[in-house]
Amino acid sequence: MNMTLIGTTLAALLTIAVYSFLYKDNPFYKFAEHLVVGVSAGYYLVIYYYNFIDPTVVSPVFRLRIGGDAILLGGVDWWMALIPGLLGLILYARFFPKIGWVSRWALGIYVGGYSGLGIAPVMQARVLDQIRGGALPVHALHTGQGWTNLLLVVGLLGTLTYFFFSLKHKGVLGGLARIGIVFIMVGFGASFGYTVMSRVSLLIGRMNFLLHDWLRIV
Amino acid sequence: MRALLPALSLSVSVLLALFPPAGRAADAPLSEVVRETAAPAAVTGLQARDYLDNNDRGDKIELSWCLSADDGAGALSVLEYRVWRSQAPDEQGELVATLEPGTAAHVDTGVTPGVAYYYRVEAFDGALSSPAATAGPAVGRINLFQTSRLPVLVLSLAFFAMVIWFTRLAARGTNLFVRRIPGLNAVEEAVGRATEMGRPVLYVPGIGEIDDIQTIASLTILSHVAKIAAEYETPLIVPTARSVVMSAAEEVVKEAYAEAGHPDNYNPDNIRYLSDAQFAFAGAVSGIMMRERPAANLYLGAFWAESLLFAETGFETKAIQVAGTANVSQLPFFVTACDYTLLGEELYAASAYLSREPKLLGGLKGSDWMKVITICIIVAGVVLTALGVPQFGRWFFTQ
Amino acid sequence: MRREIPLAITFLAGMFMLVDFFVPHHRVSAAGEELKQWGTIVIAASILLGIGNLIRVHSKKIARRQSGWGFSLVCLSVMAVMLWFGMWPGAKLGPNPLVGSIAQGSYFNWMYLNMDVPLQGTMFSLLAFFIASAAYRAFRLRSPEASLLLISAIVVMLGRVPLGQLLTKGLPEKATLPWLTEAIMTYPNMAAFRGILMGAALGVMAMGLRIILGIERSYLGGEK
Repeated sequence: MNMTLIGTTLAALLTIAVYSFLYKDNPFYKFAEHLVVGVSAGYYLVIYYYNFIDPTVVSPVFRLRIGGDAILLGGVDWWMALIPGLLGLILYARFFPKIGWVSRWALGIYVGGYSGLGIAPVMQARVLDQIRGGALPVHALHTGQGWTNLLLVVGLLGTLTYFFFSLKHKGVLGGLARIGIVFIMVGFGASFGYTVMSRVSLLIGRMNFLLHDWLRIV
Repeated sequence: MRALLPALSLSVSVLLALFPPAGRAADAPLSEVVRETAAPAAVTGLQARDYLDNNDRGDKIELSWCLSADDGAGALSVLEYRVWRSQAPDEQGELVATLEPGTAAHVDTGVTPGVAYYYRVEAFDGALSSPAATAGPAVGRINLFQTSRLPVLVLSLAFFAMVIWFTRLAARGTNLFVRRIPGLNAVEEAVGRATEMGRPVLYVPGIGEIDDIQTIASLTILSHVAKIAAEYETPLIVPTARSVVMSAAEEVVKEAYAEAGHPDNYNPDNIRYLSDAQFAFAGAVSGIMMRERPAANLYLGAFWAESLLFAETGFETKAIQVAGTANVSQLPFFVTACDYTLLGEELYAASAYLSREPKLLGGLKGSDWMKVITICIIVAGVVLTALGVPQFGRWFFTQ
Repeated sequence: MRREIPLAITFLAGMFMLVDFFVPHHRVSAAGEELKQWGTIVIAASILLGIGNLIRVHSKKIARRQSGWGFSLVCLSVMAVMLWFGMWPGAKLGPNPLVGSIAQGSYFNWMYLNMDVPLQGTMFSLLAFFIASAAYRAFRLRSPEASLLLISAIVVMLGRVPLGQLLTKGLPEKATLPWLTEAIMTYPNMAAFRGILMGAALGVMAMGLRIILGIERSYLGGEK
């Protein structure tokens, strides 16, 4: 049995099953959809175990390898590895009504830690660095550079004004907000147009697989 | 006897000219022979100071200097820079680094914290070394504050102060005005429409993990939507792509149903984990849209390329669609396919807007006035740059 | 009590990470890195919660013979098979070295490459069709803003392909489509995105502060 040929044929049939969705929802697509949910669920479970849980918690604590080998208690810093392991276990306390509220502790560390992580670096990268980049020299209006800088500064100020929630967008504020939405829409259109070719290339890739790798007619 | 010395030196010079040592042209003119015996120019402006990085053990000292004048020029071209370190000012000490020409800085690692070191830097051209530039004493210290990040601290504290002030103001009952955000009004409208048509509401909280602030913002809005759905007795389907987000969503919706007075209507099978994989999730949600036919689709949270898949499939089913994300690259797709789109910050404003809670409005107002400060700083920067003041950019440069 | 402890934990974890940004002391940095790794492990460990939900929803469907229960059976079976191929310790106990391994050549890997990858890749490629239908719908100019979006999308779309260069070949440089594309991407696009990102950043910071201070608690589940 040529596993490669079987694999390619299977992949091609599943590809066609997904494309059938473009016509309408049908049993082939439903089959493909449930298949990919099952396969990816199994995949992530196994990968998370091998890449995260085993090297950082299971191995240091137990030195147990899936597949045999003697079990030895204690590795390097095994008690440090126990803490995240326990935190992970605590999440499952939610299934026991009496102690379910303990599961919020694990969530608290994770959400709290990453919220704190998201404050100062964001201020640095998204605000300060952007202010530095945004305050451009606009006085040299006899050069092209001066005009483009002016465009960038006005666009930035307009966009910031658009997101001002404390006052109604009327008068000067309204005008500036209007400039902002103009810039935003042009920017969105550019983003949209920019992405079209990359999406089409994905389609070309799949067609290439079907026609070249599977049917060998191209 | 007196004539012997000049005769000797003359003959030595003639001999050197006729039989030059290796590395020099045999017929080099006398002037070049004389020049070869001079050393390259020394480096200038040598400074040594404690090096501050994010993992400070006090064991690094930073050296900086201006390049030797002979760096990259002519026959006295510098081949390397040599860095010497000692613990006494008049000792040469040990050679700690040899650096390529063109290098004007070096970080000396492995120094003992608290000990004073003296540095010498020489330019070496292959034969002779320049006079040493010296610097010191420099001491490696474990620092407690990264001074280059002071601007970040200042602005962050100013921001916090504003948020807290406005929160207090709102808590005291002052009416804080927030302008109308059409997308957020549409959320309630969408649920109402689904109720009229007797079909469910689909709420996708994005595919971000729970540490993504967009996901948390989405869960806050979900709480509000779930309350309305509970009151109208409309089924609410919440597919998730992350396990922790699923369990958080379960708690949020269950609590919302309980608060609305309909705890029995809560259906745990409507909060579904589908897949961690981006497109497996997208395919499965598309399947839900085609089979269960929700009349209102709400996409609020962190989305990536699958955003267009949702929006277009939802459009085919003629559902009313409201989207919101701070991933700017996906906003264009939502804008073209959905009825209302919340752009970036509007998603974060949603929790304050929908609940009208004073504590949340305070945050919104703080952000707003921080924007005003930012606009003022930018305008000031533009004006200062126009007037030729260069320090502006430097104050905002942080590491 | 039940409420206070998680909020206190959130506050401490958040403040610590905030302080870590400003304090370069090596012990603080090391602790910060450790905390981040703990977070990753907690999330990885939580996968069973999701899998549990998946099994529960699909098993109910199978047990009640609801419409589409056959597909639910497919889903659960395939997941079980993937688990078996990836985790079965029989690799060393049994005769087949391709089971219980995730290495290249193993059954697990074969299923991943021939089922997961083509299925997800094809779903991704559906976007080519959807982007066309979205663009077509945008032609129905709903508002002045939509027409701006449309015009700039067309300019950039054409400017990126050889057709665009061909269409405006003879014109002065500043009127050619590729030049216009470059100009639009560099100026309005950048200015707008900078503004949106800055506003969003302030929203993130405000929200982060509210979470750390315990004002925003919805992710913990309700108000009680």
